[in-house]
Amino acid sequence: MDDDDAVFKALADPTRRRLLDRLFEHDGSRLADLEGIAAMTRFGVMKHLRVLEDAGLVVSRRSGREKLHFLNPVPIRRIHDRWIDKYREAPAAYLSDLARSFEEEP
Amino acid sequence: MTDRTSPQIYQVFIKASPERVWQALTDPDVSEQYFHGARITNTPETHTVIGTDGSDWGSGAVLEFDPPRRLVHEWSSRYDAELAKEPISRITWEIEDRGAGVCLLTATHDRLEGSPRTAQSVGGPGWSYVVSALKTLLETGEPLPRAL
Repeated sequence: MDDDDAVFKALADPTRRRLLDRLFEHDGSRLADLEGIAAMTRFGVMKHLRVLEDAGLVVSRRSGREKLHFLNPVPIRRIHDRWIDKYREAPAAYLSDLARSFEEEP
Repeated sequence: MTDRTSPQIYQVFIKASPERVWQALTDPDVSEQYFHGARITNTPETHTVIGTDGSDWGSGAVLEFDPPRRLVHEWSSRYDAELAKEPISRITWEIEDRGAGVCLLTATHDRLEGSPRTAQSVGGPGWSYVVSALKTLLETGEPLPRAL
């Protein structure tokens, strides 16, 4: 389910954010290509990938004997639309109200 | 510039029946509400895209047509003169019924190896916006604001 909690939890870890950055640069990476980004075991990287997959941020596909990992940017887009846009508009509106109130001062 | 010519995958859960998602992919009255105003029709043979200016934005062949599960069609970026020079690429839509009125929709854009500019143009915000707008439309009945 595209649950905001799962996405925020998945993003709240520097190794997982690095994995996403790596997939942004090299989409469709194999596990072996991703192991180098952190000083951790193959099992550790697999665990992080699993959290990213459960949050819908990574989609894996089999290609022959290999498993390829793809970045799915849609959950981040959903969070952007839901949270970031809202607060980006608010300060601008606040500042323009403030300017108006100064202009109206006698 | 990041190389985006490997397959690009966009996936989202949508609270709607497979039939409604299929209709959204094939009916121009629905597509114009989430696909930058484009009127898109998919028949077993033809993928037709009419832009907001009335011109052809990238029509092509339908390669697989299996309602309400799987739709594969050609992609060419005729909405942009430079991108239009690149080879035809391919879109695969998969609709998976996950039960409880929820579908998993996956859009895969591949065969982009010879089309780096198209890959860059549709990558990231491009498809994310369309897929996100489709979800919002089907779940709320409201289109997303036409922003990008």
